[in-house]
Amino acid sequence: MRLYTPALTLAALLLGAVPAQAQKDSTVKVVLQGGPEVGRRAPDFSLPWANKDGVGPVESPYQLASDRGRTVVVAFYPRDFTKGCTAQMRTFAEQYDSLFGPDVTVVGISTDSVTTHSRFAASLGVPFRLLSDPDQRVSKQYGSKDSGGYNRRTVYVIGPDGKIRYRNLKFNALDPQAYSELQAAVRTTRGS
Amino acid sequence: MKARAVVALSLACLGGAAGSPAAQEPGVGVGAAAPAVRVHDLEGRSVDLARYIGKKPLFLEFWATWCELCEELMPRVRAAQATYGSDVEFIGINVTVNQSRDRVRRYIETHKPPFKTLYDDEGTSTRAYEVPATSYVVIVDRSGTIAYTGSGGSQDFDPVLRRVSQNKPPSRQD
Repeated sequence: MRLYTPALTLAALLLGAVPAQAQKDSTVKVVLQGGPEVGRRAPDFSLPWANKDGVGPVESPYQLASDRGRTVVVAFYPRDFTKGCTAQMRTFAEQYDSLFGPDVTVVGISTDSVTTHSRFAASLGVPFRLLSDPDQRVSKQYGSKDSGGYNRRTVYVIGPDGKIRYRNLKFNALDPQAYSELQAAVRTTRGS
Repeated sequence: MKARAVVALSLACLGGAAGSPAAQEPGVGVGAAAPAVRVHDLEGRSVDLARYIGKKPLFLEFWATWCELCEELMPRVRAAQATYGSDVEFIGINVTVNQSRDRVRRYIETHKPPFKTLYDDEGTSTRAYEVPATSYVVIVDRSGTIAYTGSGGSQDFDPVLRRVSQNKPPSRQD
């Protein structure tokens, strides 16, 4: 994340096409894109969803607020059916019990449509909901929007009190330590 | 690292990096020194990659048993090992995500991959090489410098292997 601000700022300066005020705004925006820190309240959101059995009803989007009282894991990821995301979601699916446990809500969020999500979830047997955030409204709130129109790979663990207990803003889908850390964070949050 | 990220993003914004091979693939770039990190073998023994780097050319593939692209790539790796195996060390580093040693052993027994398998259960090589995906291949020349990186099931690393096995400098075709 530290790399992000100077990189974008320099890019904008080099392009020379961004007015001074916009450059200033963009710098401010990038700072805000850090997402909620540990201890802060998780921004509420409501998004359409799909799972391996199909697309969820339009009138019943997933609402974070409805999971107050439970531990929630929110995983932002770039795109369905890509290499890294397949590795991550396959691991989440196959090691669901040891990584999360039965009393935890897990949701994945990308810009993909709910139709694509449903196919992706079915292909891997993903046992949780995948949410569709095509305009990246939610990923922006959580500092997980990248500059290319996709999500960055980030993971948040939200406690039963609705506060952020853990976050990894650079979750590496191929690093076993990233999963161990997440597992430990979920256990700590569930036990608190 | 910071400077590289800034420059890379800036160039990408300017549209100037599209033709550069190093810019096409994330991970530690071509021309960099190969990180000599410690991983493990399937028996849990520590293996220092320094044992191989700089001694002879090295072909590294980061793989997993569930990786379909690795499966797709396997015939090419097999052919490359048959051609260059006497001059180049072939090593497959299992990324260990969603894996167990037993599962990897069973896979090796069944598929007999054409490389020595190491097991990176601490993710040290994955982080050091900034591995973006399974099927990621890194070729290191005899001096310990990265000569190629790429991922996917249809990579063509033959020209680079031919060059590094003959200890020749990089050519434009690479």
